[in-house]
Amino acid sequence: MSDGSGGLESGRKRATRLRDRVERHALAGLTVATVAVLAVVFYYPVGTVLVESVVVDGAVTLGVFADLLRDPFYFGELARLFAGEDPVAVVRALVAPDRRLGIVGFTAYQAALSTLASVALGLPAAYLLARFEFPGRRTLRSLTIVPFVLPSIMVAVGFVATFGRNGTLNALLAAVGLGPVELMFSLEAIVIAHAFYNAPLVARVTTAAWESVDAGAVETARSLGAGPLRSFLDVVAPQVYPAVLMGAALTFVFTFGTFPIVLALGGFELATVEVFVFRLARDLNYAEAAALAVVELVISLAVLGAYLRYEARHTVTSRGVRPLPRRPLVPSAPTAGALLSRLGLGVYGVVAALVFLAPIASMVLASVTGGDGALTLDHYRFLVERQRTGAAFQVRPWPAVRNSLVFAAASALVALPMGVVVAVVTTRRYRGRKLVDAVAMAPFAVSGILVGLGLLRGLVFGVEVAGWRIAVAGSAAIVAAHAVAGYPFVVRTVAPGLDSLDRSLIESARALGASRARVLRDVELPLVWPGVVAGAAFAVAISMGEFTATVVLATGADAYTMPVAIERFIGRRLGPATAMGCVLLVVTGLSFVVIERLGGEYDGI
Amino acid sequence: MGSERDERRGEGEPPIAVELEGVGKRYDGAVAVEDVDLAIREGEFFTLVGPSGCGKTTTLRLIAGFEEPTAGTVRFGGRDVSGVPPEGRNVGVVFQNYALFPHMTVGENVGYGLRFSDPPGDVSRAERVRELLDLVDLPGTEERDPESLSGGQKQRVSMARALAPGPDLLLLDEPMSALDARLRERLRVQVREIQRELGITTVYVTHDQEEALSVSDRVAVMRGGTPEQVAEPRTVYRRPASRFVAEFVGDNNVFEGTVAGEPGDGENGDEDGDQEGPVSVPVDVDGATLRVAVGGNDRGADGDPGIGDRIAFCVRPQHLRVGRTENGLEATVESAEFLGETTRIHLAWGDRELLVRTEDPLSGTVVVGFDPADAHVIDVDGG
Repeated sequence: MSDGSGGLESGRKRATRLRDRVERHALAGLTVATVAVLAVVFYYPVGTVLVESVVVDGAVTLGVFADLLRDPFYFGELARLFAGEDPVAVVRALVAPDRRLGIVGFTAYQAALSTLASVALGLPAAYLLARFEFPGRRTLRSLTIVPFVLPSIMVAVGFVATFGRNGTLNALLAAVGLGPVELMFSLEAIVIAHAFYNAPLVARVTTAAWESVDAGAVETARSLGAGPLRSFLDVVAPQVYPAVLMGAALTFVFTFGTFPIVLALGGFELATVEVFVFRLARDLNYAEAAALAVVELVISLAVLGAYLRYEARHTVTSRGVRPLPRRPLVPSAPTAGALLSRLGLGVYGVVAALVFLAPIASMVLASVTGGDGALTLDHYRFLVERQRTGAAFQVRPWPAVRNSLVFAAASALVALPMGVVVAVVTTRRYRGRKLVDAVAMAPFAVSGILVGLGLLRGLVFGVEVAGWRIAVAGSAAIVAAHAVAGYPFVVRTVAPGLDSLDRSLIESARALGASRARVLRDVELPLVWPGVVAGAAFAVAISMGEFTATVVLATGADAYTMPVAIERFIGRRLGPATAMGCVLLVVTGLSFVVIERLGGEYDGI
Repeated sequence: MGSERDERRGEGEPPIAVELEGVGKRYDGAVAVEDVDLAIREGEFFTLVGPSGCGKTTTLRLIAGFEEPTAGTVRFGGRDVSGVPPEGRNVGVVFQNYALFPHMTVGENVGYGLRFSDPPGDVSRAERVRELLDLVDLPGTEERDPESLSGGQKQRVSMARALAPGPDLLLLDEPMSALDARLRERLRVQVREIQRELGITTVYVTHDQEEALSVSDRVAVMRGGTPEQVAEPRTVYRRPASRFVAEFVGDNNVFEGTVAGEPGDGENGDEDGDQEGPVSVPVDVDGATLRVAVGGNDRGADGDPGIGDRIAFCVRPQHLRVGRTENGLEATVESAEFLGETTRIHLAWGDRELLVRTEDPLSGTVVVGFDPADAHVIDVDGG
């Protein structure tokens, strides 16, 4: 308030003013930077691919789409409908036993089956986690996130090691005198692998919803005369059901766009849309690849959109509820009902162990088992040997590990600030927030192949800007693709914390003189720090496991990552692939531990 | 409507600190506040009171800068502050839920605002924090974790934090609502004392009319996003400007009827022949004729009611005397609430409910009446 006593004071004031001005615009600046990154490494590349699907030889045409829709190879019997045939005849053909589904139809079919399997496998886990108390419950709850971030190609290797002709399953069956089963390259293998990925997701969201059911509501229903079953159906189920639906919708979208699992377990015989887009792109048939990718995107977005509409109408926000009390897993009084539910959970436990633990265990086992069935370190020796003597064009282990680590660190550094900024921008209330949310979260739903293809065609091959040819190195494009794939996870781990922060904390800080960016630094981020750390862990894990976009972009001999290395090994022999898978498992696990240490304590998300 | 009524004040009043002119706020078409005209003077303890949803908190948030108005202007000391963010307005805000930063100590909380401005006076940051904690009667709590404090203590820390940077304006948003009744009474006295000591302009939001009347210099009673009356607490209580204010501020009996005669008609200065009091008119209410004082009611341009006008007036329960025959109404006792010092009795008079305060419980049929001078005319609707 005083008028100052000389130049020193006024100099300080000027510095303060400058700092204020920088701070006031810091958030806006970061937002602009995020938008710019998204535009350059996501919307522009994806846009170029989409343009390629409608521009043929410089003319705009929907011909590519029209051909696609009328091709039974893609749409099966439905293609006849698009070709203008009688709908009744098409429906009759569809219910006939020898119906043709086409690539798109098969993709939807396997996604639907995978969704059913995931829900069937996920719900008992939710029941167990939400309603029973037992040692290790919290740990198990935290572990449900693990399958989702495991590198998909590694899981595929694990499934090959389990269900392959010489896999552990057949070894076990042979030991008890049963004949070998052939599960590889079958729909069953794909569905089980998808359930491995997505059942924990279903379990997670369902558990969270179940835990937020207020015990008071159930007690009210009971006191009004509803029995246990009736109160479950009338009070609990309606609150849990939307979560199950959300898990199912996400599962469908994820499995509809599946790539590495199908590539490894199904081969091109059981190709899904994503695999075919990859194949078309590899054969340089870009227009058809782009058109097919658009069809895939439209279907995915339609399912997500339908779900989001449903969610908007059915979301019940209940805060500060008293959760239902958990029962001990070992019943105190062994009644018939109590024993039956425990028996059911026991059977489920065996199935779950088989699905979730067998692939990882089999992979580890296969990596130390020789062709003759004896324990050996040959596969690891192969990796060491390859590293020492491998030719320049061959995949060597160390560059793969090094690339994975560098890409993971670099993409996490990009994804973290992007994710935090998007979380901040989408948790504030204003008109058009939904649109911003959708634009920012689109990378979640867009296939990796599409992103990879766009980056390759748009940036790596180079673009002409004002007479300058700008080309981006393959490794930079990989980092960009990984950051784009990873930052939605940062948003998802940070946004709920920010959203539940008391708005008056932020307003108090602002009234006390803090700029918006300063409040973020001083108040919001410290309070949601566990979410930020979890987001970093996610970003790293996603980058380490990302296969789809990487395999498109890692055309050069020097930019391959561990998952790409595994895929190249798997084509020849399983042994080295499983050994490489174990390396990936260890490196990913270690990264998780390091991030957790760096970020301080947090109790999982 | 009523806001101008009380603006006729003497010269030498303190200058206006905060002025709202035609302020409105809409959210997606829904009106939160509308046509708010307020002038808050420097050093004044000004209270916004009303039921939930009346727009009082929105009005406070518009002053703080957490929201920007969709219509009208907010001025601080004559300066338009639209577009000035909260951190540029030099206001202190205290919320109902305290909003203490849970990851900071009490001292860090109180000192947070001093990171952005130098402490007023020639003291260090630490000294200023100590001063403020002394002021709110929590000396030596700098190192405490806010979570270890009681609700009342948290609210005082929140107050200290808001005051530490020496704001021009203190904004209190239902600061007592989360506390129990006894503590609330004690704390509001303390808040008032601190406000007087610092002489800081204060805007206080509450839904509790008793709290509003007890601490404020002036009160704005809000309804549906607009102030219905802005006046000193006594005026609001004694001369409510609308039926809503009459019923919101304290218990009241509101009567509606038709003017049945000229002012002074049938007024014969009976008994003691008192002609000094205000002139009264007879009003027909559900067949009963009640005399109601008019004039001296500050009714201004409305003038005196004429025959046939619809008229609404109110009589406080303590002015309805049991056994009084003037304006006597025969009513039956429905129920009674024992309140300690008095008993609130619900009477049925025809279809209407009447409230009476007595010291003793009543039962059966009673006659209650009131002095015409104790009736306050709220509204006259000329035919």
